[in-house]
Amino acid sequence: MKNFRRIVLRKILNSLITIILVVIINFALFRMMPGDPTKFMVPSNPKFPAEYIEGLVEDYGLDKPMYEQFIIYLKGIPSLDFGTSFEHKNTLAMDHVLDYMTWTLVLVGVSSIFMISIGMSIGIVAAWKRGSKFDTGSLAFSLFFYAMPTFWLAMMMVILFAKEWSLFPSHRALEIGDSFHFTLASFMDLGDHLVLPVATLTLVNIAAFSLLMRGSLSDVMTEDYINTARAKGLSETAVLKDHAVPNAMLPMVALIAITIAYIVGGAFQVEYVFEYPGVGWATIDAVMHQDWPVLQAAFFLIAVAVVIANLLADVAMVYLDPRVELG
Amino acid sequence: MDGKAPQIRLANLLGVSEPFIERVRLYRKKIVQTGGIFRRNRMGVLGLAILLVFVIMAVFPAQIMWVFSTVGGWEYPYGPFDEVGPIGPGVEPSSEHWLGTDIRGNDILARTIYGARVSLTIGIVATVVSMGLGSLVGLLSGFWGGWRDEALMRVTDVFLVMPWLVLMIVLAAVLPGGDSVTKIIIVIGITGWSSTARIVRAQVLSIKKRAFIERARAVGSGDLHIVRKHIFPNVFPLVFANSILTVALSILSESALSFISLGPNATKIVTWGNMLDDAFNTAHAMDTGLYLWVIIPGLCIVFVVLGFTFIGYALDEIFNPKLRKR
Repeated sequence: MKNFRRIVLRKILNSLITIILVVIINFALFRMMPGDPTKFMVPSNPKFPAEYIEGLVEDYGLDKPMYEQFIIYLKGIPSLDFGTSFEHKNTLAMDHVLDYMTWTLVLVGVSSIFMISIGMSIGIVAAWKRGSKFDTGSLAFSLFFYAMPTFWLAMMMVILFAKEWSLFPSHRALEIGDSFHFTLASFMDLGDHLVLPVATLTLVNIAAFSLLMRGSLSDVMTEDYINTARAKGLSETAVLKDHAVPNAMLPMVALIAITIAYIVGGAFQVEYVFEYPGVGWATIDAVMHQDWPVLQAAFFLIAVAVVIANLLADVAMVYLDPRVELG
Repeated sequence: MDGKAPQIRLANLLGVSEPFIERVRLYRKKIVQTGGIFRRNRMGVLGLAILLVFVIMAVFPAQIMWVFSTVGGWEYPYGPFDEVGPIGPGVEPSSEHWLGTDIRGNDILARTIYGARVSLTIGIVATVVSMGLGSLVGLLSGFWGGWRDEALMRVTDVFLVMPWLVLMIVLAAVLPGGDSVTKIIIVIGITGWSSTARIVRAQVLSIKKRAFIERARAVGSGDLHIVRKHIFPNVFPLVFANSILTVALSILSESALSFISLGPNATKIVTWGNMLDDAFNTAHAMDTGLYLWVIIPGLCIVFVVLGFTFIGYALDEIFNPKLRKR
């Protein structure tokens, strides 16, 4: 148990270092570029009046030496202050991003439940019936969707299910202008709009889970304790359910952590095509309008969220598998 | 003379040393064996066949267009930048333009065929960049150990944990270089090296513990010699199998970047990604019903990625004997 605590502390320390590096990169990326920082940080947009630009130079200390700018930036971090958005005046960049975060969490959360449960079920059946038609078929099916650019699959979904067959809406998360209320009608509306984005994100990511589950379970099936279980006269189902699957689950926990970063990347593309009001949509919108404070806030928020998710998965992994060593 | 004919040795004929010939023989045997495993692997052969089609597309686009123009009876084989249709939201497919024409009046079929070259090049060169960077970091980290290993691994973690698309978007937005192909390659390369570094480091650590390294040290080999002669040859197959899968990812990355208008300039360079960008963002092909413009370049991406993925899996099975036994 003492060892467990040491490993967890070490993991937490590593995550903290990662976050500190993210904070530094987030500053450096936007300031270290060649050229005049006052010109780069404040995009030359005729929409911005001169006094507004001067105010920004003042706020960020863009005319001061780099270390002073860094101190100004660091002071904002504890209160998550990345300045006000260029595009949406009088809105703090972080508030703007947080507004969109809920929607992304809904999309990614619902999709994750589907991709994990479906992917693992496919993997279990494929490993159990290795070499069968189902095995080959599911492999081809998962790899085919795995090879697709997420945004393209999203477009195919729109063409088929929204344009040709008019089954589901292709835009936004709610009927335009409506805000979400905790009523049945609102839930139905949201559900209707979620079908295509969730289906897209799920299909693209199923392969990662089904392939690993298949591999992991195939490994476990060759272990001695599976033979022992069979020798005890247990039925195949009991061997699978009580002995094989629980042991094959461990690598899945690690995979879920690694995959989070990929799922978020996929979610960005899905949000963009469906004009779904999530962080991805807000980020791409910010890039197109050169809204750097919003971009910085989004980068920071996503990085920290993923680091924490990884940390939790790592700790769960250590807790579940005592063989995991410090490393 | 004792009656024995002087033995003519291949090594003497070629003017190289005997051990060298022996090494070549061994390599040849290994390659033949590997080729045998590869041929038996249906997935790998299928992947190779798919890729061959696209390589031909990338190398001979003009010739392919010439064949099409003769079959279709067009005036001449269109190039990807020839203005053969009206400038505007794009035109429906016709017998002259099988996939229609796009916002610049370019023939969409011609752009699709010519698109193979840049899409493949970006995928492969970006992979070389990220593999090189990843192998270097992994080798140094594993070989050095200690605090330098720690420091390198913390940096690697940042890149491993950052959602790839987010990092690419930010890099593409802030790096100088406008919309040049070089910049896209660098952006993809910088984003994708971290998992390679991890894999290489793990491999180096396990090799370092083996006896032959200690033996080499005992006979007085230097660091550089050990890395070059003992560690690198053992790490390389792993990196190679991994890099094939990375090409697939790099091509997907390019298409995603181009799709959100952060890719190469579409008036000078065609990639499948920026064709989809034109179709979706500028021409709104989804609303106007010009679906082929969206479907065909996308299918090209899917099949190229599938080809590389199949080959990658086949190679993994070859270089990873543990998998073969299962």
